[in-house]
Amino acid sequence: MGKYILKRLGYMAIVTVILSFLMFVVYTMIPFDRARAEVETLKNAYKNNPEGFQQRYEELRKEMGLDENIIVRYFGWIGVAPINGKYQGLLQGDFGYSYIHDRPAQEVLVEPMKNTIFINLFATFLALGITIPMGIFCAVHRGSKRDTAIQAGTIIGYSIPIFITAILCVWFFAIVLGIFPVSGMKTPGSNYTGMKKFFDQMKYMALPLIVMTLSSLGGMTRYVRASMTEALSMDCIRTARAKGLREKVVIYSHAWRNALIPIVTLVIGWFLSIFSGSIMIENIFGLNGMGLIYINSLTGKDFEVVLLLQMFYVIVGLLGNLLIDIAYGFVDPRIRVNK
Amino acid sequence: MNNQKKAPKKLFIAECLQKMFFGNLFGRMRGEEHTVENERYDSPSKLAVKRFFRKPLATTAVIVLLSMFLFVFIGPAFDPVDLSYMEAAHANVAPNMNMMKLPDSLKDGAVSITSNGSFTLGLDEEGDVHVWGYYGTTSKEDRVDVMKIPQEVQDANIRFAAAGSDHCIAIDDKGKVYGWGMYDNAQYSHDGTLIAMCIKQPTELLNGTLNVDNVKQLICGNQVTAILMKDGSLYAWGNDQTGAPNMQAVMKLAKENANFDEIAFTNSGMFALTDEGEFVTGGSAKYDNLQILDENGATKVVNIFDYIGTRKIVDIAASGDSVVLLTDDSEVITLGTATKPPVLAEGEKIVEVSAGTRHFILVTDNGKVYAWGNGKLGQTDVPEQLTVAGAVDTVIASGFQNYAYKDGEFVDAWGLKGYVFGTDNMGRDIFNRVMNGGRMTMTIGAVAVIVATIIGVIIGCISGYFGGWVDMFLMRVTEIFGAIPFLPFALVLSSILQASNLNEDTRIFIIMIILGLLSWTGLARLVRGQVLAEREKEFVTAAKSMGVSQRRIAFKHILPNVISVILVSVTLDFATCMLTESTLSYLGFGVQLPRPTWGNMLDGCRNSVVIQNYWWRWLFPAIFLSITVICINVIGDTLRDVLDPKSEVEK
Repeated sequence: MGKYILKRLGYMAIVTVILSFLMFVVYTMIPFDRARAEVETLKNAYKNNPEGFQQRYEELRKEMGLDENIIVRYFGWIGVAPINGKYQGLLQGDFGYSYIHDRPAQEVLVEPMKNTIFINLFATFLALGITIPMGIFCAVHRGSKRDTAIQAGTIIGYSIPIFITAILCVWFFAIVLGIFPVSGMKTPGSNYTGMKKFFDQMKYMALPLIVMTLSSLGGMTRYVRASMTEALSMDCIRTARAKGLREKVVIYSHAWRNALIPIVTLVIGWFLSIFSGSIMIENIFGLNGMGLIYINSLTGKDFEVVLLLQMFYVIVGLLGNLLIDIAYGFVDPRIRVNK
Repeated sequence: MNNQKKAPKKLFIAECLQKMFFGNLFGRMRGEEHTVENERYDSPSKLAVKRFFRKPLATTAVIVLLSMFLFVFIGPAFDPVDLSYMEAAHANVAPNMNMMKLPDSLKDGAVSITSNGSFTLGLDEEGDVHVWGYYGTTSKEDRVDVMKIPQEVQDANIRFAAAGSDHCIAIDDKGKVYGWGMYDNAQYSHDGTLIAMCIKQPTELLNGTLNVDNVKQLICGNQVTAILMKDGSLYAWGNDQTGAPNMQAVMKLAKENANFDEIAFTNSGMFALTDEGEFVTGGSAKYDNLQILDENGATKVVNIFDYIGTRKIVDIAASGDSVVLLTDDSEVITLGTATKPPVLAEGEKIVEVSAGTRHFILVTDNGKVYAWGNGKLGQTDVPEQLTVAGAVDTVIASGFQNYAYKDGEFVDAWGLKGYVFGTDNMGRDIFNRVMNGGRMTMTIGAVAVIVATIIGVIIGCISGYFGGWVDMFLMRVTEIFGAIPFLPFALVLSSILQASNLNEDTRIFIIMIILGLLSWTGLARLVRGQVLAEREKEFVTAAKSMGVSQRRIAFKHILPNVISVILVSVTLDFATCMLTESTLSYLGFGVQLPRPTWGNMLDGCRNSVVIQNYWWRWLFPAIFLSITVICINVIGDTLRDVLDPKSEVEK
């Protein structure tokens, strides 16, 4: 197992390097000159001195290393090659600079990251709590009327895009019933503390959470049902029934354990993919999460933050794959033995 | 000779068709022995098709999806999207079809029918006013809704009535002036919040009365109103800054000369005609220039007053953006954006010119109707039977509709009936945009999925069939592509495209390719796995032992077995790609407005005001997108079921 993990880690490192280069190339392709933008703000100071203005621009370009070739810039960004004689890159803890917020990029991301993780964890547990029992129920009562109805519902559920679900939920919960606010993070101007703050925040989070849970119900229920169906058709289940075990034991002890293998991968994969998936939800509801920062940075031309977030998404994705592989090994002894 | 040549060709086509519909499409071509009579067993694909259509849900989905395809691909041919089109007067109109529903009591004679927006106000000969059409308001106040005629107006015997863009003014037989509708910009009363910036309604009209027998004309424009008296005096008020910036100047002229004969409002100007036949612009230079053809056929620009010269103007009419002048020698001069007036038949005389919001109508002395101007909503499509002589004697053009009368009896109406799906904030027809947007969304989805399928199948087949280091290399490439975070990466790429100065079509095409390039990895893995599994099966070994060539094994034995997997995956990916496009457009990174797609139509509906008040703006694109995706998913799921031999055994 250890050897296997090591092999996977090594492989992951290679892919990360390749992808980071790809991301960096895309980043340099953006037709946006940071030095030009910086120097534009100084235009008034150089009003009567166009030569000095040009000189300052050249200086800035040199300072930012924009004149170097792309390989040197890439290594400089990673931190393994010097730019202007200084090692200043990811490895040295310099993650770039946010020009919108005028702060180091990583500082900008701390608060949104907390929010995103909170929403995602909450939505995952909520969705799992509903879909697992529902999926098992459908698999056990396969072909019944209730199963068919749920199946039809799940097709609709995973076909409808999240922004339509969001519009419908806003319309129903916020406008028709008027119980939740439409968007935002907290009551404007409020300064609550303790439990009051938490409840206020939950009131604002409720609608996004409902939308996220609803939109993941369809796909997850189908997945759980499919893996449970597969598990129920195994020979060991027939044996278990033949030797007279109670149906509950057969389902929850024998079949469920076997069905768990694909579900574990789903849960991990889903949880990690949600980091990029919540781009949509955070933008619709104006939640201060990483997805909102991402879109705002894109539209605000704050590309160093974009680059950092891209790398974050890449690493999260790769880590997810690794975790899935390892989890497979833990859940299914056969895989462990084979490796 | 010819016949001999044709016969086998036709047979071949027939055979192909038969194979397409009755199976064996993907199987081995069996040549001559394949006839309907001696086929005792159904081929697997024929069986699959049979089983597919035995499921009512899947059959319905196929029918709905096909009609959706027809709707979005054939519809735009009849009703193409006009990207520069907008109609401010019809912004946010709810779905309705009663904009041309003339009330019965107006059918045997109308005193006036006026419209400046989406609703029309009519005054019948009994002195009752009627409002029809649509008016949208978010205000809770009753008097703001022009559709609700105040009780006192209903009770009074109205002599004059006119509709503005969001208000109505009426004068009864005692000379009392009534107003209802929006009042914020001093359309009537002194209660408006923005009244300081506008010209107030004269106090004597607000509290007292005027001599109704002395009233010559009552006319309303874009938030402005004017009452012209027979003695030449003029009352005018309203939001002059938007509705008529030259109102003060015109009022001053009226006071000095007291010789006005007729008033006309465009959406942003007030124009008048004096009893000496002069055209009064009040200093507005908007319509000073007239484009005419000189003797060589080239266009040249002349000053309108030089052009008129000593001739007299006998009639004036104004649409929202154009003014028409009728001279005493029967020339029709069109100023502004409207097209040139039609050429009348020899010997015909013009009786009257009347103006809608975007078009003009002209009736001649022998009762023929001509129309010109902007007829995008059908205003200028005069019915065939009215273009003959003697068909009508009056045509009232109001807003976007025309009502024709003959001897005081209503004959026919033409123009805009309404909007089936309503309009958006720019006054564009949502039905048209849903249709054209669907074409864009589906095209992008289809191209992206085709690109993804081609790459996926090629990579998967090569990888699975050759194995070894080729497989190793290709799978690593696949994994790297698979590890790219899809949505963020697509967003970055399209924002790069946005910043570059590509033209919109190229940009959309590149977006399609990018979507395809980012979504082939799943299919490649699937195909590779399937090919690997098939390669080891007994029938391949058997074929090998019989000396069948490698190529034949790959394409005739293995590929048909993989195609079912590809088919299912393509169907489901099509739905995913459509959704991705919608997501990108929704976030503002896909297809840009004004080009419609289902995604960017929903983009305008993100705030609660729109969700609450203008439900038609999000409901229709949402329904169409959802239904299409649901149908595709149902078809894909059913295909997977029927193509998988195991599933039949299970049931």
